[in-house]
Amino acid sequence: MLKAKIELPEDFSVTVQTTDRRGFTPEEVAERCVDRLIDVSDQAHPGIRDQAHAFRRQMLAVVAFYMREAIKSDRTTIYNALSQAGYKELAEQLRRL
Amino acid sequence: MAFTGNFMCTSFKQELMVATHDFTASTGSTFKLALYDNNASFTAATTAYTATDEVSGTGYSAGGGTLTNVTPTTSGTTAYGDFDDLTFSTATITARGALIYNDTAAGDPSVVVLDFGADKTSTAGDFTIVFPTADASNAIIRIA
Repeated sequence: MLKAKIELPEDFSVTVQTTDRRGFTPEEVAERCVDRLIDVSDQAHPGIRDQAHAFRRQMLAVVAFYMREAIKSDRTTIYNALSQAGYKELAEQLRRL
Repeated sequence: MAFTGNFMCTSFKQELMVATHDFTASTGSTFKLALYDNNASFTAATTAYTATDEVSGTGYSAGGGTLTNVTPTTSGTTAYGDFDDLTFSTATITARGALIYNDTAAGDPSVVVLDFGADKTSTAGDFTIVFPTADASNAIIRIA
């Protein structure tokens, strides 16, 4: 006799992250990004687990670096958009951030 | 009246069997996430989106934010679906929980109830809902 059971587990959970009068830093966003990319099991063999954690730390630094690069590049784009629209003082303030 | 935990809506389970929902990225249904204060009383018996007890504030519009579907996949004998994290930017809001619902289907049928466990507040900042790791053990929607 064929026995099959289909379940929709309800043990899911989301987390909420908020900021107060600022946005998230590249490092904070990078943490989220790496959490989505790499999940290291507590049950993994210690050797593999240590390697995975080391890889995670490396990924974190790389992702944060490129996020900062993206922010800088976007500021350049906005600087030029504001500058060309005649808001040179505002553009200069943005560039100095 | 208060949030009492996370729930997979019972109506959603039935609707899966009549193809009401399509979680395919880009071409699937549009799913939204609405935020609520702790006066909301959602349970597994919740069937659809409601504006009652929905939060309001700068950076938040009634109906909530649109989620980005990640096309469902499988791992072993488990199928699972996922959404990208959702951020309400430059927002001043306080929410205790959320409801994910299908904005494409008639009647805005609900999918899951999310209890944040406590009030979460952003002040002129970002309010981000971080979805769990998309795998067979943690993904937000799994069929095992």
